[in-house]
Amino acid sequence: MTSKSITTLCAALLSITVVTRAGPTQDAQTIVEDGFNYWRGKSSVATVLMTIHRPEWERTMTIKAWTKGQKDSLFHILAPPKDYGNGTLKKGREMWMYNPKVNRVIKVPPSMMSQAWMGSDFSNNDLSKSDSLLTDYVHTLIGTEMHDGHKVYSIQSMPKPEAPVVWGMQKLKIRDDLILLSQEFYDEDLQLVKAMTTLDIQMLGGKMFPKVWQMQKAEEEDRYTRLTYQSLAFESDLPDRLFTLANLRRPMR
Amino acid sequence: MHLRLAWRNIWRNPRRTAVIMCAVVIGVWSMILLGALMRGVAAGMIKNGIATLTGHIQVHQRGYRTDPAIENSMTTPEVVENALRKVLPNGAQWARRVRVNAIASNARHSSGVTLVGIDPATEARVSFIGKAIADGRYLKPDDPHGILVGAALLEQFETKLGRKLVLMSQDTAGEIASRAFHIVGSFRAEMQATEKRFIFVTVSAAQQMLKLPNGISEVSVLLPAGANSEDVAARLAAALPSGRYEVHTWRELLPLVTTYLQLMDGFIFIWYVVTFVAMGFGIVNTTLMAVFERIREFGLLKALGMKPGWIIREVLTESFFILIIGMLIGNLLAFACIYALSGSGIDLSAFAAGAEFAGMSRVIYPAFHGKDVVLANLVVIGLGLLVCLYPAGKAARLIPVKALAHT
Repeated sequence: MTSKSITTLCAALLSITVVTRAGPTQDAQTIVEDGFNYWRGKSSVATVLMTIHRPEWERTMTIKAWTKGQKDSLFHILAPPKDYGNGTLKKGREMWMYNPKVNRVIKVPPSMMSQAWMGSDFSNNDLSKSDSLLTDYVHTLIGTEMHDGHKVYSIQSMPKPEAPVVWGMQKLKIRDDLILLSQEFYDEDLQLVKAMTTLDIQMLGGKMFPKVWQMQKAEEEDRYTRLTYQSLAFESDLPDRLFTLANLRRPMR
Repeated sequence: MHLRLAWRNIWRNPRRTAVIMCAVVIGVWSMILLGALMRGVAAGMIKNGIATLTGHIQVHQRGYRTDPAIENSMTTPEVVENALRKVLPNGAQWARRVRVNAIASNARHSSGVTLVGIDPATEARVSFIGKAIADGRYLKPDDPHGILVGAALLEQFETKLGRKLVLMSQDTAGEIASRAFHIVGSFRAEMQATEKRFIFVTVSAAQQMLKLPNGISEVSVLLPAGANSEDVAARLAAALPSGRYEVHTWRELLPLVTTYLQLMDGFIFIWYVVTFVAMGFGIVNTTLMAVFERIREFGLLKALGMKPGWIIREVLTESFFILIIGMLIGNLLAFACIYALSGSGIDLSAFAAGAEFAGMSRVIYPAFHGKDVVLANLVVIGLGLLVCLYPAGKAARLIPVKALAHT
């Protein structure tokens, strides 16, 4: 009990320091970096409902997720029973998948990196290269607006000339308390390809956090993937031994 | 004497003779023309296959052919190149390549491709890519991020020159390697599949991306015309340190084409026989009719003392004239058609997808093989006379008294 309250306190303190650091500088690069750290947390444990919506069908999965720092993640699918035990481990830029039906861990080969993750609108690349936003782009502040009493920064992120990214541009909207409101992905003709928006910002895991994250293909109203946080806790640290292939095979802890 | 007799006899019923001659003409014409077209398809397949990054001979690290992975690359290509310099005849060209499977992607599309790292100058002399640029420019030796893609891939990816393409593959450390390239040019190939499958970067860019310092996947050799690839390959294999390298000729590298070639001879002969069977029935039937019409005449000849052998010779001579004239016209017609098609070929672009499925090129040029023409003519004249033995024998076996009484 005490340890949990301490962690919450740590998380709260952390977020405060982050906020105060971002406040005055207003430099786009710093905002993005701080924002990334804020929504990623130092480490987190979450239960997420993932709803994949298509014109013909819709399905929902429950995913348990652990993340540590900018690079390591571990996902396990809890429901539906058909998919129970499926897991994805990401360390650095490498990914492994585990399927209990065949009892095999598969290293995601380059050929599968641009495919959809679990049939959603997120690609394996979106997961494995999530920190690419920090390393491969140059961010510029293109405007600020007031929204619900908060200052919202609009940031244009252009890929560095030789960065191995497919997008021609990303546009971010980040609130002054570092909450990501939207992330838009453009192709090289600067046409919108897909966009992620966040909704329903509330107290989650001890800090303000959007409960709903929705990834939507441009011009296709009926195709989206929605992540809804059911529970979220930010931890100051998770042990490295959590993010191992052995744990990928062991779904329930 | 009997030649004149036969000649006059066949023109006693000019319409019937003309009809059967037509059958011979069409038969011979189709045999020669279709034979030439089939040879043309085969020649196109070989030419394509060799130009599409095969060459006459290839050298690989042992094991690369069964598992074309980055680990099976040649790390010291100098050894191979020294051997090539020693062994190859004058006029032969060779090119070094890095060749791995990769994924190309842009914002909207991604697709599996074969990434080929080439040395632009030498590669242009060895494979089709040097002459295939449709738009933009060819690679320069120092193009760290330049990439050549097929016109069909450009269309599939909804992209254009100057745009970016991100390639992903596995590097030597087993990690995922990715690198951004800018499309500097597009190429057109004989087959759309080639345009979609191959993308070209410089060999140094590929080596950097794959963390393969100095290593290459294969050496492809193009021999001057007339050189025997088997002989050169054997000498090359002997000159290379044994056990580490594999040398293959195009016959082994393109097994499908080789098998097709072997099949072709038998297939053409079968085609000739099939055409002939259809034609042969017509010939037998007509000759038989001509014999039955002249039963009294043959009876009279026999009554006058003509030997059965002479009657057979008489009937066969008639058939021989018909066959020879038909063959002559058929050959001329076929040569004229081949000549007419040799300029522009038969353009199958409209059915490109179907033709490609069969591994054929977009345009078929008929290839003239003297052997096939001789075979076609021999089949027609030989079997033609053979089947005419039946009506001739019938005429020869007539009994004069009965024949003369025949009404």
